[in-house]
Amino acid sequence: MEKIEPFGEGFVLALAPEFVLVIGLFTLMIVPNLGDAKFRIPMTQVRIPWFLGGKRGKLDSDPRLPGLFATAFFSLAFVLTAMSFVNGMNRIQIVSGDNVMLQVDEFSRMFELIFFGALALASAASVNRIPATSRNDRSASGLYNNRRQVDFYVLLITSGLGMAVVALAQDLFLLFIGLELASFSTYVLVAFLKESKEGTEAGMKYFIVGSVASGVGLYGLSLLYLWSGSLQFSELATAFAENGMESLPLIALGMLLVGFGFKVSAAPFHFAAPDAYAGATAPVAGVLATASKAMGVLGLLRVLLVVASPEATDGAAVWLVALAVLSVVTMTWGNLAALGSTNPKRMLAYSSVAHAGYMMAAIAAIGALNWETDHVDLSNDAALVVVTALIFHLTVLVCFKLGAFLVLSLLESEKGGHTLESLGGLAKRDPFLAVAMFIFMMSLAGVPPLSGFVSKLLVIMGIVKVALLDVTVNSDLSLADLHWVWYLALAMVINSAISVFYYLRVGLVMYFHEPEEGREGPLPAGGPVRLAILACLVTTVFFGVGAGQLIALAESAANALVGAW
Amino acid sequence: MAGTGSSEIVHSTAAQYAPYILLLPMLAFPVILFLGKMYNGNKMWKETLKEGGLIALAVMGASLALSLWLISDFIGAYGGVEKLSDWTWFTSSMWNSGVVTTEITFGFGVHIDHITVMLLFIASFLCLLINTFAIGYMNTDPINDNRNHRFYAEFVLFCSGMLGMVLADSFLWLFIFWELMGLCSYLLIGFYYERPSAAYAAKKAFLTTRVGDVFLMVGLAVLWDLFGSLDYAVVFNEYNIDKVAASNPGTLAWALGLMFIGAVGKSAQFPLHVWLPDAMEGPTPVSALIHAATMVNAGLYLVARMFPFFGAESMHGELADLAFIIAAIGGTTAVMAAAIAFVQHDLKKVLAYSTMSQLAYIFTGLGAALYLANTLHWHEYLVDGTKNPDYYVNHAIVIVAFGAALFHLFNHAMAKGMLFMASGAVIHEVHHAHHHLHPHDDDHGHHEEDPEELLMLANYLADTGQSVFGFFNSIDLDQSGEIDTYEFQTALKKADIADLPPWDMQRLMKALDMDGNGRINVPELELTLGRVHLASLAGDDDHHDHHHEFDAQSMENMGGLASKMPLTATAMLVGSLSIMGFPLIGGFWSKEGIIANTWRVALEDPRFFYPALCVLLGAGMTGFYMSRMWLKTFAGSPKTDVAAHVHPTNTWIKTPLFILTFVSLAGVIFASMGFTHWAPDIEYGLMSDHGGLWGGFLYEMEHVFANEKVFFFILTYIALFIGAVVGPGLALSLYGGKLDDGEEAKPWFGPVLALNAAIKGRYHWDNSAFGKSGFATALENRLYFDHYYDMAMLKIVAAFSNKAAEADSSVIDGTVKTVERTSQQLSTSIRSLTTGSARDYILMAALGTLVLFGLIWGVVA
Repeated sequence: MEKIEPFGEGFVLALAPEFVLVIGLFTLMIVPNLGDAKFRIPMTQVRIPWFLGGKRGKLDSDPRLPGLFATAFFSLAFVLTAMSFVNGMNRIQIVSGDNVMLQVDEFSRMFELIFFGALALASAASVNRIPATSRNDRSASGLYNNRRQVDFYVLLITSGLGMAVVALAQDLFLLFIGLELASFSTYVLVAFLKESKEGTEAGMKYFIVGSVASGVGLYGLSLLYLWSGSLQFSELATAFAENGMESLPLIALGMLLVGFGFKVSAAPFHFAAPDAYAGATAPVAGVLATASKAMGVLGLLRVLLVVASPEATDGAAVWLVALAVLSVVTMTWGNLAALGSTNPKRMLAYSSVAHAGYMMAAIAAIGALNWETDHVDLSNDAALVVVTALIFHLTVLVCFKLGAFLVLSLLESEKGGHTLESLGGLAKRDPFLAVAMFIFMMSLAGVPPLSGFVSKLLVIMGIVKVALLDVTVNSDLSLADLHWVWYLALAMVINSAISVFYYLRVGLVMYFHEPEEGREGPLPAGGPVRLAILACLVTTVFFGVGAGQLIALAESAANALVGAW
Repeated sequence: MAGTGSSEIVHSTAAQYAPYILLLPMLAFPVILFLGKMYNGNKMWKETLKEGGLIALAVMGASLALSLWLISDFIGAYGGVEKLSDWTWFTSSMWNSGVVTTEITFGFGVHIDHITVMLLFIASFLCLLINTFAIGYMNTDPINDNRNHRFYAEFVLFCSGMLGMVLADSFLWLFIFWELMGLCSYLLIGFYYERPSAAYAAKKAFLTTRVGDVFLMVGLAVLWDLFGSLDYAVVFNEYNIDKVAASNPGTLAWALGLMFIGAVGKSAQFPLHVWLPDAMEGPTPVSALIHAATMVNAGLYLVARMFPFFGAESMHGELADLAFIIAAIGGTTAVMAAAIAFVQHDLKKVLAYSTMSQLAYIFTGLGAALYLANTLHWHEYLVDGTKNPDYYVNHAIVIVAFGAALFHLFNHAMAKGMLFMASGAVIHEVHHAHHHLHPHDDDHGHHEEDPEELLMLANYLADTGQSVFGFFNSIDLDQSGEIDTYEFQTALKKADIADLPPWDMQRLMKALDMDGNGRINVPELELTLGRVHLASLAGDDDHHDHHHEFDAQSMENMGGLASKMPLTATAMLVGSLSIMGFPLIGGFWSKEGIIANTWRVALEDPRFFYPALCVLLGAGMTGFYMSRMWLKTFAGSPKTDVAAHVHPTNTWIKTPLFILTFVSLAGVIFASMGFTHWAPDIEYGLMSDHGGLWGGFLYEMEHVFANEKVFFFILTYIALFIGAVVGPGLALSLYGGKLDDGEEAKPWFGPVLALNAAIKGRYHWDNSAFGKSGFATALENRLYFDHYYDMAMLKIVAAFSNKAAEADSSVIDGTVKTVERTSQQLSTSIRSLTTGSARDYILMAALGTLVLFGLIWGVVA
């Protein structure tokens, strides 16, 4: 593995996607402010063009400009990240002395693909969708509008940067900093619509509960530091393997679980999430449900599989039972709560809670693996399968969950999307949106051959594989022979069955209910949103039918994580 | 599904593109549908793009081009199995069973062998031609305006179903595409869904074939259990068949038998044949598609696909009974359908029964071929590895028997496709002539007519002898003297007329409610019902004519069209001759082969005398009904003024007829090319070489007309006599006649018409006595099959389903409802925890933290 000092040779190239975002950040801040301002040298009449401020041009005062810029920069970052997969990944570590700070490998890059992809779609969908308060003075209104757009996209970019740091970090402290950078940006994004009471309230609650969770997590972090004297993953893992059963690291582990539990919205730390999703604009809620959740899962993977590695303990991991219980509670809670929700955004929020449950079940299964010497190869294989399934799941989630939120965002622009009934008659009003939404729902429910089906199948198959690992082939199978994590798969299947009810209901309303009064006409046009929805739609179908390539990609990413244990 | 490795897999460039043969039409389906919705009524869409017809034509053309490339590649370069399993969905070892122990891959692959190639050509070629025809047929009929896109979309989906089924490399995919076709047949037969008869026919076709499909599915499940896979590569692997044959050959026989029932349903054989005549409710291109190019061939294809099981040396003699059943079902259907075709007046119905009968021939031929393959030692090496002394003779016998059946499939498809299109042209033009002559009673017009429900109600009252007043009192529950819609509906449901189709209450009310107050009183009911009943009594003598409509499909309204539609008449003539097995034309070569081979088996196994006699008799019957059809339509003088004013049809319709006429006439060339030896197995070259085209011709001629075996020599001439002389001769003496004076016909009709006039003038036979006999009535009622099926449905199935429905609503629905109610309650209580107050959220998080610590501590301690 290549090692590079910060700002050493090849540093910028190694972190090209991240630097693109930094450049994007500054571009967004500067370009909309360019004008014909001149600077007069004091005491003289000489005026030097200064450009910042003054009367702005037609182009840079266009309120769509920031959105298009952000989309372009996210897309560029996405493409650069994807390019690093071509011709084999060049694994690079950014080191400072002996400490590894960041590591570029398939795993981190894969997650960055998820983050940047989701953010690019969300920013495309938000172009010109943030309403400005109307003012009497039109030029002031325009300025206000434009500045407001800038704020929104700047926050999107900072959250993207935070997520990238989380993906790359090889040090728990760095990881936490990235996490907080992303979190704080999203807190503000949730509350961005300050005109609406729900938005501000939701953002506030999300911030308060989030801060508490972060505080607990940070406390756990400090305990870990107190215990081992380092927050490097590699050193923590060694320390854990030696004397991980001491009380100090275990308390720290529990606290970290709380912190990340909030990020993935696991029950019972999820309470603020439905409020936040419902209060935020739909694209932001989509980002919370996909990219932000992927970030939480990433943190969980790092902490549970790398730091408190199950390999370190003989037999099952110490967090196995806790995580298994948490996962079952989370998925059941999410699905049951979604069952009765009449607000589609809340429904999707609860469904995203349920998905968090599925993913934690998968991680728990890895904890059940047996790492005795004669089992290591088998266990490695099984762990690889599960992590692959997880990454696959997180990736395709961007396609259909974000897609569903984007459909809602179009409804939002006509003040709908807060009740299920506002979707009524969508099939007649806008067949494309209805078909797209229906396919997203089918995919969420896990109907073949859509990607949602493949991802669920992979996760369930992974869990079953783990449960079957100790069973000798071709003997008569009885349930008692299976490891009990098998019941996690069962719980998942039952929960999926429950979930079909509320996913299908959306289809029912769209196709069989009449439009609400005042909503009979066609929906607003919104080219970029529709383009983003189309992209989601195509990938939802494509990753289902042609799952092979994405599975291979996810497997290479999983290999980078599992191989590094 | 692609699977575990097999040694003889070949990849060629053409095979790489094979999936596009079915993907292109499949992708065209949504495109046409959406464009049709978006640009409905648009002038460019309607006139330039023919409402999607040209898009369909383009993709079908591309499919045909790719198919031809694939076929020529296959024939030219290599005669073995080609396989492409490029597209893999996922791989797993979770579902292993049977003889397969390696991982199973799910994906789509293409399997190309001799049978595939034959069916592929038929399907892609005819789909293109029928598509051409459809543009001329559908787009010129105003009733189809602005909904042709639906037709073309469903059409291409249907084609892709057939092409996919033929190309699939596993029985699973075969089944999937099989069902896709089932769905499309439902949609297309019910294209005019606003007509109750079309909706009924669509349901009937779907449900009847579904009966077979259930058996097919069970059969496939058994097959899966035996082999652990449904891949052709696995199940046709000789080693695997040997293993299964060693352990449970009986189960394999059952599996194949169950699959055969599926084929019986799809190919409309006795006793699952009832759907096919009704399927004529669809537009004529659909009839041509179902009866020639696609659906009915699917069943035959499935049976032909089973050949490796029958041919395997290790299954020797195990499957002879099944082969007999196949042949016997075929023989029965051949005679039965032909007999029913005798009395049909509807042009398309004659063709429908003819299809049934000809498919039965193919089944008989396949049965005979499979029997031979199963009972003869025809492989080069015997089971013990020694060289087979009878290899050369037996192998030739099996190949010729199989080839005859497959070649008949080809000939029949071409001829029947043409016949349907020609009949469509006739109907189209008769209809237009009628429209031209009698614009006022256009049968698609919007004049007010009594809803069918009203007639049923009137008939019901008359049948049960109830007075209108008594009936009214019995349904006027609140005794108010007037009934509203809701009351009426409930009452009708309660009254014992539940066996009638669902009532369109709105129409019924509208017809009954004279003063428009939304309620019905006694006088209203009495007046209307009395009128309707009288009208129905008056019209009862002609059951075609309830609504006094002109029936453009009835041959009773045609006659003498030979001079008016020369090309159509020629096509119809050639097609009929091909179906009849008239010497040297199309079907002759294959039909002779089927008859000869069935008799060959009959000499070995006396059971086969039954199918053998059936096919011999059927040859004569075919000759009769096909001649009858042609003569009634094209010869004689016009029976109505409409028929006298028919004009030639348009180019879109003519082109496919023209092409297919030559294909049918060229039967002799195909036979000389060795199509009669179409090999079922990859061990042998595709075409047997008898010294080029001319040598092949001489060989075939000698083989057919001067067979060295006395038995077959005599048999040939008996069959020829029956099929080409007796049957047509009878028809010539009964129907048709000279054209009217002054009508010019093409010279090649001269001999036919002259012969017709001569025989008819000489004998003056009158078959009206037969027409009035009970047997003819029975035939006209299709031997009461539908009647008894309906009765059985009503008495047994309906009673059972009523019970099931009760159980469903109380037990299953009850459970579901309880689950739903409970989970909704749970949902409400769970969501009530989300109070909206951040304080509570933090409290919950703190609780969660405690639980987490408890769980971790529990593990550690």
